[in-house]
Amino acid sequence: MEPFLRYWMRWPSVEHLIYKYLWVWGVWQSLHFVGMVLLIGTVGILDMRLLGMAKELPVAALKRLLPWGVLGFAICLVTGLLFVTGIFANVAVHPYVVLTSDVFLQLKLVFILLAGLNLLAFYVTGMSRAVDGLGPGDDAPPLAKVLAGASLCFWIAVMYFARLIPTGKFQP
Amino acid sequence: MTAFLVWLESTWLSTTLRDSPNVFLYPTILAFHTLGLAFFVGISSAIALRILGVAPSLPLAPLKKFYPIMWLGFLANAVSGVLLLIIEPTRFLTMFDFYVKLLAIAGAVYCNRLLYMRRFRHPANMNPEPLPASDKLLAAVILILWGASITAGRLTAYDDANTQRQTAAGTLGVTLVTLVVGYVAFRLFGWIRSAFWGHADAATSNREAMLR
Repeated sequence: MEPFLRYWMRWPSVEHLIYKYLWVWGVWQSLHFVGMVLLIGTVGILDMRLLGMAKELPVAALKRLLPWGVLGFAICLVTGLLFVTGIFANVAVHPYVVLTSDVFLQLKLVFILLAGLNLLAFYVTGMSRAVDGLGPGDDAPPLAKVLAGASLCFWIAVMYFARLIPTGKFQP
Repeated sequence: MTAFLVWLESTWLSTTLRDSPNVFLYPTILAFHTLGLAFFVGISSAIALRILGVAPSLPLAPLKKFYPIMWLGFLANAVSGVLLLIIEPTRFLTMFDFYVKLLAIAGAVYCNRLLYMRRFRHPANMNPEPLPASDKLLAAVILILWGASITAGRLTAYDDANTQRQTAAGTLGVTLVTLVVGYVAFRLFGWIRSAFWGHADAATSNREAMLR
């Protein structure tokens, strides 16, 4: 596993891009924030509606905002992969070492995974279809509320641990 | 000015925060700045997108209830922002980019307030569909100002003005290219869908009509 990850995680083209252009890292970072804003703005509002805020909003209509959240997640995923695969250009530490030693990066990834599993649970338990029928004033089923609350907590944890990543220990 | 900055840097709060042995203190303040941003800018952007025509079936009026969460996010950002400023007053207050960031945020906050007054404050104003073009312009200005705030905010992490200028230009270039490519792809997708599946939809509805 280690040789495989060591080979694929350090991407020379990304590294060269960072060495060559002073501005690419900052552009990716700004885009990462834009993606985060789109994700939290749409998914966060849906979660809060399911938890009982602004119940006048019909949920099926609110879900029409979600493609923008998916776009936001895609932007974050792409820029995030660029950060990991190109990190050697900034700190001269192999991304594999960062991944295996920075507990905050690991925690961030774990919470992204939990948010993903939570979303999967939202679909497989039938909650996604159940909440589509919620009109103005309707209360979400308890399970949908639990999943919505978990979603909010998981994404907040993702953002919190993300900010701690540079504080984490990673030795060359 | 310099005397004031030196004084600010020597205050108890500044030295305590700066010299704290707790390595989590600074990133935690930063994290609150990020969390506030996510909810403030996130909700504001979602409302702006709705006004620009996304999710037209979504009633606008109940979105009013998310404004308190938005302002709570702003409060988190204001408090954490002031703390971050007090830690390094000279660095930030002598940086041109920092004033660009403050101006962009002030503009975005003002536009959000304006939008609230125009569209959300009085129930009678809430659902005038289609929305006036001036509302759409205001929503677009809000999104542009948020983009500028985020970029200028990221740039405060750099000390070198040349890197800041290049990154600002790069961000503008990448954003414009992404918007143009995204728009073309979206229109192309719509055209392909109507060209191929459009007929299928007609066939389906014809079949259903025959059964009635």
